[in-house]
Formats: sequence, structure tokens, C-alpha cells
Amino acid sequence: MQQQRLAQFILLSLFGLVLSSAARAQDEPARAPDWRISGFGTLGAARASERDADYTSSVFKASGTGATRRWSTDVDTRLGIQLDATLARRWSAVLQIVSEQGLDNTYRPRIEWANVKYQATPELALRAGRIALPVFLTADYRKVGYAYPWIRPPVEGYSVLPVTSSDGIDATLRWTVGPVRNASQVFYGHSTVPLVGSLHVYGRGGFGISNTSDWGALSVHANVVSAEISSNIGAELFDAFNAFGPAGQALTRRYAMDHKRMMIANIGVNYDPGTWFVMAEAGRTSGHSFLGATRNVYVSAGWRWKSLTPYATWARVRAVGTTLDPGLPLAALSPALAPTAAMLNAGLNTLLMRIPQQTSAAAGLRWDVHTNMALKVQYDRVTPHDGSIGTFINPTPRFTSERTSHVASVALDFVY
Amino acid sequence: MATLKYSRFLGSALLLACLAGAPVRAAELVVIVSARNPVATLRADQVAAIFLGQAARFPDGVEAVPYDLRLGAPVRDEFYARVTSKTPALLKAHWSKLVFTGRGQPPAELPDSAAVRRKVADDPEAIGYIERGALDGSVHAVLVVQ
Repeated sequence: MQQQRLAQFILLSLFGLVLSSAARAQDEPARAPDWRISGFGTLGAARASERDADYTSSVFKASGTGATRRWSTDVDTRLGIQLDATLARRWSAVLQIVSEQGLDNTYRPRIEWANVKYQATPELALRAGRIALPVFLTADYRKVGYAYPWIRPPVEGYSVLPVTSSDGIDATLRWTVGPVRNASQVFYGHSTVPLVGSLHVYGRGGFGISNTSDWGALSVHANVVSAEISSNIGAELFDAFNAFGPAGQALTRRYAMDHKRMMIANIGVNYDPGTWFVMAEAGRTSGHSFLGATRNVYVSAGWRWKSLTPYATWARVRAVGTTLDPGLPLAALSPALAPTAAMLNAGLNTLLMRIPQQTSAAAGLRWDVHTNMALKVQYDRVTPHDGSIGTFINPTPRFTSERTSHVASVALDFVY
Repeated sequence: MATLKYSRFLGSALLLACLAGAPVRAAELVVIVSARNPVATLRADQVAAIFLGQAARFPDGVEAVPYDLRLGAPVRDEFYARVTSKTPALLKAHWSKLVFTGRGQPPAELPDSAAVRRKVADDPEAIGYIERGALDGSVHAVLVVQ
């Protein structure tokens, strides 16, 4: 089954390559090509020592390496194809389709980007359509492995995002102060993220501002994003809590993802003079729900020698406040109701243990095999803390926090 | 101040002496604009910003449209190494970030220095780089890349 999917994936990649070379041959020195096909992809395999949960790169994955299988190609493997069209002098459109393992355990292609851009002036661009959220230094190109040094961006920061794109409008203004070149972006939109079965996450009234300032080799990125999040995850649990009167209703108000304003603030710094680089980011999220509130940080540095880039990363995510809740007070309940309440309390804490608390250290090597291809190997040492499953998914009942897992990964990234 | 100027002069003189004595290396490069473009000189960081998609205008406010040589051309690699400190792989990574986030497209490519010079001569908004030996009166150099 998995091999068959991989074969389909490779076939699709080859198809993309053929298409793109055909496109290149046509658009010779034209200043504004009418359309252009480009793409990116990663073939990856990872193996974790953990046996009671899956290590993977995003909460939107069905499985990973660990409990489900020893070696997993689903953690990092993906293919993206992008069509850029120049419609008129100032008008352009972009469509990006990405195929990767989703929560439904298929590689069904999804529309990542679909927007129309109006370049009002060389400095001001306005877009309408589906736009990736500009959170984190590398969030909007986190699927393009070739563009960053690692096998995957540190999962401690990137896995806390329940919504990654928005259907709406945005404006980007470029401005310069002395030697500092800035790009400021504002957006407004909404989004619907289908999960498994009938489960969804909705983000409404999403807005955000972000700014990137470049000064020579130094780049500083800061952003704040906020949206009203709703979801039917845990709906039965919270309905049951509501039946327990004011104490249960208070728990529902506190933890249900029902019209809760979620906020993400982040600042990142990248210094890259060419022969080496150092990157650091720190972020804060607050969910006012079972998503909890977290603080995350990572630091990464690397050194470039010929076509080799050895690098190391340290990352951490911690919950702000507790990730355990006593739930309904059992002592006040009749013996007939207490077992039900105890079960609900356990259900609630199963949700809360997914608020990520984790520390990891990684070392890796990137080898630029060719100008559009890089081979990477990476070793991660990952430890979830304080009862949390960290960024792992699919825990078995035997899973225990505080146990360090070793993850080995290899990936081939390409762009075309 | 005077000492600084003097030491700079001395530095340049030493550098020149070294260059003269050194075996012939890759050709000297010039960044060119049309003879009709009023911009007289540009700093390396201004040229870098235009070619990396970070600036869309010349300092006088006129729109700037950069042209590249083909991927793999030695003059192109030399230009990016000296002006932006980027290897071909790093440059590809840089454009991957912009292209796949819908923030820009790399400069159009032309086959050789003569084609770049012709394109730049015809278009006051165009900017390119060529070997110094390929210069003529239709364009003027705004930066000598050393």
C-alpha cells in the first residue's frame, strides 16, 4: 500500500519535471512570461526509537515513525507544483498544489495557495485568495525543504499551529529606511481545515501583521496573528460535561474550542553572511481552550564548507500554566455518577496532554548535490516533558512522558 | 580623516599591485545600465538588493528590472559570489523562498554578455552585469565588481 503510494508520488514528480522543462524551453528571454511552472519536493525517511507513539512533522499527519511503523516515509515526503501566471502588466496569479500525507492517510493533493495579486506600485502588492499565514521566519515556505538547512523546521514551534492558511486578502508594502529594507504585511481572512471524518477546525475573523527587516546579512521577522477558532473536536466530551451542572459547564467554557480567540506572536532573527548562519526564534501562543498556551524557542547554527553544511539546533516548547486539570470534583457526586465523571475527567486530560511540552536537540548535515538538489541527514534527540506527549501523535496507553526518543532522518530535497 | 584616506589609498595601491602581479584571474565585471539612465553609480548593497528582489527601484525612483546570465555561466556565479556572498545553491534557496511564497520571481535570463548589453541599452529600467571587456557606449557602468 505504502509502496504503491510512493510509486504514484515518483511518477507525479517525473511528470512535473517534464512539464517544467517544456515550460523553460518556451519562455526564453521574455520579460514577463505568461505562465511558469515550478515545483519542489522531498523524498524522506525517518526512524524513531520510540515504540509507543509516532514522531512526525505536523499534527495534520495520520502517522509517523514509532508506534505505527519503524521506518516512515510519511514524515517528510511531499511534492508541490506551482503555476504562476502573468495576467497583465500588474496582475498575476498563483496556484500551488501540495501532495503529502494528511490526516486521512492519503497523498490527496491539496490547494495550498490560490490567489490573484495586483502590484499597485513596485512597493505595494495586494492579494486576494488563499494565502499562507506569515507566522515564523520559515512558516510560509516550511514545505519547501530545499529553502532551509534542516530536514524539517523545528517541530516545537511549527506544530502548535492549528491553521496554516487563510482565505482572504492581504497587502504587502516594501519600504526602506537608510540601509534597512523592510516588508510589512497585513492580512484578513478566514479558513476551514477539514480533519478526519466530520471533524473540522474553523478560523474566523483572522487578522495579522508581520514585518521583515533586512539589513545586510541580518534579517529580523516579527508577527502577531489572531483568529477566532472553533472546532467540533471533543464535542461529545463537552456535551457530557454540560450535563453535570455549573461545574461541568465551567470546564466546557474553559476548554471547548468554541469561538475562542487564538493569538500567536513570534519574533525571529537570522544572520547569514554566506559562510555560516545562526537563526533563533521565540514565540507565544494562547488558545483559551484545550490547545492551551505555549512558549516556544529554538536556536540553530550552521557552517558552510564547499557544498556541505553541518548544523545543530536546540528547541523547546513549554506550556504556560498547567496541562493537568482535576476536572469535576468526584467527592460531591453520587456513587452512580462518579465513575462517569471520572471517565470524563480522564478524557479531558487526554486532550490536555497534547499541549506540547518538549525539548529537543538535533545535529545534521546538508549536502548540496546539485544547484537544485540537497541531500540531508539529521539526528534528533527528543524528550516530551511533564505528562505531555510533546509533538508526538498516536500515543498507545503505554506511552510515558520524559522518555527520550532518538530520531534518525534522511531526505532528498529538490526544486525545479 | 586624512590618515584614513591615505591608508585607503595605500590599501588600494597594494591591492592593485597584488592584482597586477597575480596570474590572470576571472575577468573584471561591471554592472551596467542604459546610457539613457541618469544613475551614475550604485553601491554593491544597492545592486545586491535589486538582484535579490529586495528593491524594485533605482535610488532616483525609476523602476529597476534586473537581467541575469544563464544558470551555470561563470560570470553569473562570480557576480553573485562577490556582490551578494551567495553560492549558486544559496541563491537558488533564496529564490525558492520568494517564488514558493508568491513574493517574487528571479530575473529573466539572457544567453550572453552581448545580449545583456543590448537589452540594457534599449531599456532605461534595465540593469545587468557583463565582463568589462564587453562594455561599449550604449551602456554605462555603475559599479565595477572586484
